[in-house]
Parts: sequence; C-alpha cells; structure tokens
Amino acid sequence: MSKPTSLFVIFFSLFIMSEAVFEDQVGKFDWRQQYVGKTLFAHFDSHSQSSNKLFLATDKNIFASFNSRTGDLLWRHVDKVGPEGTIDILVLHGQDALMVVGGGRLLRSWDTNMGGLNWEAVLDTGSFQAACFVAIQDTVKHVAVLKKAGTVRHWFSYLVYSGGEVEVYVLGVVPNSHLTIIAYSLEDGEIIKQRSVEAPWLSSVESSCVVIGQGVLMCVDPATLALYTLPIQAEEAPQFNQILLQSLDLEVSLGFQPVLVSSQPHPARSPISEFFLQLGPDHHVLLQLNADGYTIAALRDFQPAFLVSFATTGEKTVAVVMTPKNETLYVHAFLKKDDSVDYRVLVQTQDHALTFIQQPGRVVWTREEALADVVTMEMVDLPLTGTQAELEGEFGKKADGLFPMVLKRLSSQVILLQAWLAHLWKLFYEARKPHGQVKNEVTIETLSRDEFNLQKMMVMVTASGKLFGIDSKSGSILWKHYLENVQPNAVFKLIVQRTTAHFPHPPQCTLLIKDKDTGLASLHVFNPIFGRKSHIAPPALPRPILQSLLLPVIDQDYAKVLLLVDDQYKVTAFPSTKNVLQQLQEMASSIFFYLIRSDQGNLSGFRLRKDLSTERIWEVVLPTEVQKIVAVNGKRPNEHVHSQGRVMGDRSVLYKYLNPNLLAVVTESTDAHPERAFVGVFLVDGVTGRIIHEAVQRKARGPVHFVHSENWVVYEYWNTKSRRNEFSVLELFEGTELYNSTVFSSLDRPHLPQVLQQTYIFPSPITTMEATLTEKGITSRHLLVGLPSGAILSLPKMFLDPRRPEVVTEHSREENLIPYAPEMPIRTEWFINYNQTVARVKGIYTAPSGLESTCLVVAYGLDIYQTRVYPSKQFDVLKDDYDYVLISSVLFALFFATMISKRLAQVKLLNRAWR
Amino acid sequence: MWLHVRLSEVCLFLQAMFILACCFSDMESGPIATSGSVQPNGDRFKIEGRAIVPGVKTQDWISSARVTVEGEEYIGFLRTDGSFVVNDVPSGSYVVEVISPGYKFEAVRVDITSKGKMRARLVNFIKTSEVIRQPYPLQLRSSGPHTYFMKRETWGWTDFLMNPMVMMMVLPLLIIVLLPKVVNTNDPEMRKEMEQSMNMLNPNPELPDVSEFMTKLFSGSKSSSSKAIGGSKASGRPAVKRRNYCNWSCHGNYNTIFFKRAFSFVFCK
Repeated sequence: MSKPTSLFVIFFSLFIMSEAVFEDQVGKFDWRQQYVGKTLFAHFDSHSQSSNKLFLATDKNIFASFNSRTGDLLWRHVDKVGPEGTIDILVLHGQDALMVVGGGRLLRSWDTNMGGLNWEAVLDTGSFQAACFVAIQDTVKHVAVLKKAGTVRHWFSYLVYSGGEVEVYVLGVVPNSHLTIIAYSLEDGEIIKQRSVEAPWLSSVESSCVVIGQGVLMCVDPATLALYTLPIQAEEAPQFNQILLQSLDLEVSLGFQPVLVSSQPHPARSPISEFFLQLGPDHHVLLQLNADGYTIAALRDFQPAFLVSFATTGEKTVAVVMTPKNETLYVHAFLKKDDSVDYRVLVQTQDHALTFIQQPGRVVWTREEALADVVTMEMVDLPLTGTQAELEGEFGKKADGLFPMVLKRLSSQVILLQAWLAHLWKLFYEARKPHGQVKNEVTIETLSRDEFNLQKMMVMVTASGKLFGIDSKSGSILWKHYLENVQPNAVFKLIVQRTTAHFPHPPQCTLLIKDKDTGLASLHVFNPIFGRKSHIAPPALPRPILQSLLLPVIDQDYAKVLLLVDDQYKVTAFPSTKNVLQQLQEMASSIFFYLIRSDQGNLSGFRLRKDLSTERIWEVVLPTEVQKIVAVNGKRPNEHVHSQGRVMGDRSVLYKYLNPNLLAVVTESTDAHPERAFVGVFLVDGVTGRIIHEAVQRKARGPVHFVHSENWVVYEYWNTKSRRNEFSVLELFEGTELYNSTVFSSLDRPHLPQVLQQTYIFPSPITTMEATLTEKGITSRHLLVGLPSGAILSLPKMFLDPRRPEVVTEHSREENLIPYAPEMPIRTEWFINYNQTVARVKGIYTAPSGLESTCLVVAYGLDIYQTRVYPSKQFDVLKDDYDYVLISSVLFALFFATMISKRLAQVKLLNRAWR
Repeated sequence: MWLHVRLSEVCLFLQAMFILACCFSDMESGPIATSGSVQPNGDRFKIEGRAIVPGVKTQDWISSARVTVEGEEYIGFLRTDGSFVVNDVPSGSYVVEVISPGYKFEAVRVDITSKGKMRARLVNFIKTSEVIRQPYPLQLRSSGPHTYFMKRETWGWTDFLMNPMVMMMVLPLLIIVLLPKVVNTNDPEMRKEMEQSMNMLNPNPELPDVSEFMTKLFSGSKSSSSKAIGGSKASGRPAVKRRNYCNWSCHGNYNTIFFKRAFSFVFCK
C-alpha cells in the first residue's frame, strides 16, 4: 500500500514543479496596468507644500491616491460594485478624506497618508443630498451630511452651507413657490431658526444657485435673465434682490441655461466673492460681488472658454479657464502654489482620459481610464516586416521565368543582408551608450512578428466606445480610437475578419455595436494594427440584429464572411460581393445558426435557404415559469484537439465525443428558495436541436461560470445547502469505438455519447473562468480561474477529470489519474499573477502563440494583466534557466582533456618506441 | 397664515439629519460619538474584528488589503490600527476573509442569528455543520507572506558531488590512486602474498585477464580477423564468465579487485 501512495506523491510533486512562476521571471514577460475609472471627485493634497499626492473618487466605486508627478497609483480601495458602493461625495481636509458611500449609507474617514480607514459610521436611512465640512474658528471639526428621510410629497433640492459660524444652513426649495432657510445648531443639531422666502421663479437650488461672499446666495434665473442675491444669515425677513443681466451688459446664448461657479477655499471661511457665470457653451464671465452685497461688477470676459474652475492657496486665488480643442468636457480640480502662484490642472475628458497639466501647458501624464472597463478583446498577429514580406511575396507570384526568379532571389538576399548589417550596427551603437539610456521604444512602424509569434496586438474595446491597440509585450498603447455617439448601454462584439496572414491585404477587424434596448446595430470596420478606419463601407442595418456569425467562407480578398440576422430572420452578409453571394448560395444548405430568446425561454435553430432567407428547423422551449436561460456557449472556433481519444489502463481507447456544433445551455431556476433552487445544464446539438445530455444540480444557484471546450463542460455554482462553491465537470465520450472517424456530422450520429460527471468543492467564490488554448492542442489544458481576491489560478484540467477514481487501481495509476478528493486545492504557487492582483476580474482571454507549449493570457477587469502560461512546461524551447555556462564549460573541459590526453599518449608512445 | 401652515409642512418634510462627528482632532472617538455606533435598522448587523501581521507595521500592508464577506457580497476596509468593521450585513452564515496580496490569512465562518448573536468558527467545506469555535470579535493573525514562487533548481558543486552515482565512481578512484602509495608493492614478500591470493581467487587460470580481454574487445574492430576471434571467444562461454565475475568477493588485492568489480558491474547488469 505504501508504494502507490509514494508513487502518487512523487507524481504529485513533479506535477507541482510544472506549475508556478519563478521569482526571477517577475516582469519578464508579464505586465499589469492598474486603472480606476472615470473621475467623479478629485482633490490635490494641500496638506504640505511638497506633497504630490492626488486623491480621486471614481464611478467604479474606487477611492485612489496617485503620485501627481508620474501618474502612478499609490494605493487604491475598491469597494463593492453597484449602488451600495457608490461614492456620493469626497471632501478633503488636511490628512482626512471624508466620503459618503452608497447613497448615504456609510460615512468613511480615510487617513490619506497611510491609505487606511480612520473610522466608518453607519448613517440613518434616507437618500443622500449634500455634505460639507463645518468649521468653528479655523478648526475643522465637524462634517454635516444632509439626507432626505421618509416619504416626500414635494420635490426638494438642497444646499448646505456653513460659513465658519456655529450654525449650519440648509436651503430647501419648493419648486416655483418658495425657498426655506433652516439654521441648525452645531452643538446638538437642533433647529435654531427657519425662514421662508418667496421665490416663484426658482426650481432648483442645486443647479442654479451658489453661495458667495459673506453668506450671500446668488441665483440665476434663465427666464428673466437676471441674477438674484439673498443674504442667508439676515435676521429680519430677507428678500431676493434682482440684478438684470442686461444692466451688466451680459447676454446669454440662445437657449442656454446659465450656470454659476463659485469657490469656498476653506470651510472655516466664507466663499470668495468672485464667481463665474457661464453664458454659453464656450462663454464665461468672471464677476465680483461688491462689498455692499447688492451690486455686481464684471471683471473679465472669457470667450472662448469651455471649462472654468478656482483654486486657492493661502490668500491667493487662481481662476483657471480652459479652451480645449473639442473633445474635452469637464475639468476637475486643481491647485498648487509657492510664493508666486503656480498651478496644476487635472482634466477629465469625455473619452475617459485623465490628463495632468503643469502650468506652462505641459502635459505631465495621461491615463487612459477607459481601460478600466474593457468589454471585449482580441489578439491579432503582428504583420511581417517589409523584408519578410518581400521574401514571402517571392513565393506568392507565379514564375516569370528562370532568370528573373534568380535575380529576385539575389535581390531579396541582398535586402536580408542589409537588414542584418543594420541590426548589427544598431547593436554596436547601443552597446556604446550608457546602460540606462537604451530605450526600446515600441512604435507601430517597428512592430513586427517575432520568431515564435509571442508578441501580438491586443485590440481592446471599452464600454465608453474607445478602442485601443496595445502591444502585448510591453503593454504600451500603440493606437486609440474614440467612437463617438456610442450609447452607454451598447453591447460590443469584436470579429477578426481577416488576419495578417494575407499580405498584401491589410488585416481587418469588425466591431459590431448594438444598442441593448432597441437592438439596432452598426459596424465599425478597422485595421487592428494601425487602428485606422477601413475605407470599406459597412452595410446599413435598418433592423435590430439578433445574431451574428462568422462563416469560414472567404471572399476573393481573403476576408471571412460575417452574417447578420435581423429580427425578421433576414440575413445580411458582409462583405456582400457577388463572389460571396454565389458561395453562400452554394453552401446555404449547410449553414445553420441558432437564436436565443431568453425572455421566452426559447432556443431555436435555423437553416439558410438559397435566396438568403431562413427557415426554422428546430425549437427547444424551456418554460420561463420554471427556469430561465442564463448563458449559451459553443466551443471556440480556433480550438484544436490533438488526440481523438484517451488511452486507458488496459490499452483500449476511449474516444472523445467531439461535436463541433455542441452548445452548452445553462439555466437557473426562477424559484430562489434555497431548497427548491436548481441549476440546469443542457447540451444541445446546434444543427439538429437534439438534446445530447441534461444535468440538473439541485439546491444550487448561480452565478454560474462555465467553460465549454473539447469534449467537456466545466461549470461552477453555489450550493445553497452546504453554502459552498462547487465545480462540476461533464465529459462526453463516444465509447471504445468511433462511429465515423473521418468526418463528424450532427445529422449522422445514431448513438448518444456516454457522459461522465464528477463534482468537487472549490474553497473560494470565483469571478470568471477560461481554459488555456494552444496552437495544436497537444499541450494539456489548464483552467484559468479568476478569484475575487484578484488572483488568477491556473488549475490543471487533470483535477477536473470525471474518471478520477475513488479507489486506486493498477489501471488508474497507469493512466496517471489522481485519486478523487472532494476538495479542490488552491495553492498560491498556482497563481499565475503572483502578487499582481487584477481587481474585479471580468474576463480572461487566451490566445495560442507560435509555440505549442505557450498560451498567451490576458486578464481584464479593473486592471489589465498580460502573461504567458506553459501548462505542460516549456517542452519545445530551452527553458530560461537553461545553464549555458555549465554545458559549455563541460564541453570545453572535455575538449581540452582529449587534447591533452592525446598529446600525453603521443609522448608515451614515442618514449616506448625509443625504449 | 398660509405661510405658517406651509412652513410647518416644510419642517415635516425636511427631516434633515445631521451627523456631527467630531472627528479630526481625535479619530478614535469619532464613530463612537456618532449615532453610527447604534445599528439603525434592526435586521442589519456588523462583523467586527482585527487583523494582525506579526512583525509588519500596519501602514505597510493595510492600504492594499480589504475584508470580504462571502466573496464580494460585503466589503470592509481596515483601519489604521488593523481592526475592521463590515457594516450592514443581514443575518446568515458567511465566510469572512482578509485579502491581502502580500500576506496570508485564514478564512473564518461567521454565523449571525436573526437576533444578532454572533459566532465565529473554522471554515470546513466538507463537514459544513462542524463547529470549532473561534474568538469573536475576530482575531485574524497572518501566517506569513504568500509563497507565490517556486525555487529554481540550482546547480551546485555540492549537489553534483553528493550524487550517489558520483560517489560510487569517485571513492573507488581515490582508493585506486591512494592504495598503492599506502601498500608498498615493491616489497617482494608482499608481492608474492598478493599473487597467491590472486591465484586463490581466480579458480580458472585459463580465464583471460579482464584488462587483456577488454583490450582485445576494443582493439578488435581494427582487424576483422581478431574481431572474429574475439567475438567467438566472447560468445563462447559467456555464462561461465558472468558467474565467475559476479561471485567475486571483496578481499585480496584491492588494486585489481576494484577494476574487476567495476567490470563485473557492467557484465552482471
């Protein structure tokens, strides 16, 4: 008995060795980029003069600190996704950053120096309205949070104001009726006094009023084009004082709602009496409230100026106006100083880029925060270099005759020689330079495919509609393209229609942008290497698109044909040249596709007719009262399976059921009760609609994550009874005999496959799951599992094998089957991203490289992490720890030893001959 | 009069609530002084605890750590002293974990009854109902940094020398070199004794000497005739030879014995 266990241990340890990253590999072929999302609130650290910290609160519920000199992230706190983690407001004073979170749920105080929490308080129920610091005699001790509680029958809008006294003022408005001013005592929160002021013209204080000077409320009325002032702290019945804009010689642009901008530099002091009035989209006026509190003086007119803001340091205040080119929408925060007034500006643009600008207008850094929300991505092979392409072209053309061919050959050889010499010269030149100065700038021009096709172009599509081209080796952004007019709820699908393999035709990607609500779609066709929009005109799509499919059919320009099915089941082909249409007509009878109507619980299969109309051939209905379709997934089209079967311990072969048309349909029960909830997995043939297998997991609920590949489906669900996550694996086999080994046809498969299933406990929740992919499918598969901690676990598929035996036998040992253990191990050595965690992993993309052993992995979520994995070790290249020194020294030693011994032998022979 | 009525209505609607947290001067007393320490809604509770990494200052690790309850269902952050509170958790059973990219923490299962009674126990996914009590408020102690990396197999001279195969080769070699120096072979008496023992050892005097045999074998390839002889000789009585070589024991002339043993090793295998 001891022998098998020891064998197993040895095997196991070997196996573990094949995993893991070595410490010296850190950063060698992997990189991580951290993002935070679109900025909602930004503050500069004004605590100390030399500080260069920047604090941001973003729409991704993140509170982050940056180094403002470099744009590097210092620390970041990622809160829960959704409304419970929303940051309502961020105010900063000294070292304390105060935050109201989750619609007024929590009040948090952060130590900005350490990046830790000072305290957290739960607030009373009610929706958040406003918050501000309250200060008494220059010391900031209190924070006021205004919330709305209970049922509210009138619309209110609020403004909280404190001007350094013991009172806090709350201004509430009953639209078009009156304004109420309530003063609260700072000591106990009691109402001291309250007054009401008639204001029939006022609809919202938030949008049209600001507090300036010594507690003067300044409102603008777009109807009468007048400014109104009102002293908040006045004892007797206050009245609004009207100042017509005409009297100040100001004119509002037609149809524009004027906006006021003011600034309160310190909570203990009154706001400054200067303020901006925006009269048009690009027209601002700087005004000043005179000391009497009733009259206004115009200081300066700014036109064109899109963005304005104030910043204060000590006694000096800077007003900043910005005239950006076109895309910028709103500026955020800024300030900075020394004796002379200096300033820094942080600009958040519409395309989610965050730019930091120093005073002379120098851009210090730019962060592409759109990458915090990558929706989909593809990896595209890089093109060959000019010389390589030249060589390739030689073979492409038909022979011109013997002599020109020889000439061509010679000329290409000369070109190669030139390139080699240039490379040598470059090496020599760079070697002379000091080490630090050598910088490998990656530009689009220098990009070319490497020997093993390990470096690729990552085309990333973000939710904001910005496309990026990123070099997979260095992570540098090589191109970006902002698609305007993309709806916020759009869904994207990226399709590679033509790869780089068809020189001189440029590669071509198509992005299908679909409005989630209406289903109306548009196509954006571009070159994935340069990011340029293609001149090919995409077809107009007047009807909502239900399904898109990429056919293996290629047109005369080697572009794969994209079929789009609209809601009338009509098919549009892109490209739709005559050649393509002809091919489609010929192939129509063998083109099948499926549609999912998850709201109706309907899964139906269609066939293309010769006239490009469609006919329904099958339908599967899963009643929506019982269960709803959560996800449907086929296999990846670029997946290769190397071995048709598995050799078992008794030398017979168990053939895999490799149905390329198989769909995995996952359903969840509508009943959420823990006792009655279930998760269903259906394996449906996409051509015939035949249900190959169905598995129901009782007392289980989602979210279900699953991977469908080769002949297996791995899915993960939550077991409601035992309160744990479980992995289940389904594996399909044809049996020991293959029905038709030459070709697989869904229409001619009389026998249903044998299905094996096993379930394991997984000791952590997961966020996403994907399987590794290699060129030829020889390498063993691993599952890449994204965990909530941000780690990406590389779990060998071997652990998820339904043939794992409970009792070890001779055969199972021979097959290298690991004995069944209910709990799946999570080892930190299996984390492919070691401590480079990827927050909120949303997707993992795997792509094969030119090396069979190597799979390229990109994990994206809030961050982007790129690495390579070797599921079966690097069996086809020398490992990077290969000891060249040892091998060569041994070789040299042997060589010299033979030389010496030869010499000695000669001497000896000579001596003997003389004897 | 109308104004007055409206005013009271306004007061009613404007149930503005203030949190007056005197926080900035002394942060510890901050939350206690507020209404935040009282749970506002009865069916929501808070999970409290403290995480410690022995030997590491809190400021070095808390900025990258957070507390997760049941995946990312509820999230809490660590205070500057390493303690944490996860607010707004309804009753149920949860796995609470401190996640830090640098340090390892054990997960703990916390059960909250509908009345708000708390219990912490070890996480056991197989026997889910097993209770091994843990202290509550939670005391989570890091068991050290994560081990993300495998050690590279390094090549060292000691590894090479301590290899058993190398030992087997090197030790006999040393003895071969050293023994002749220790034993004086020039002494005629000694030589005689050795020869005698050799003869005793060798039961078959006709058997060719090993060295002789080997030279024949290797030089055989040079001429076809000698090869044929050598071949016939070698194949003539292989079984006998093998037995003889294998049955040698370890005494007598060490000098030759070791050579012979080495060869016997080759032949017997």
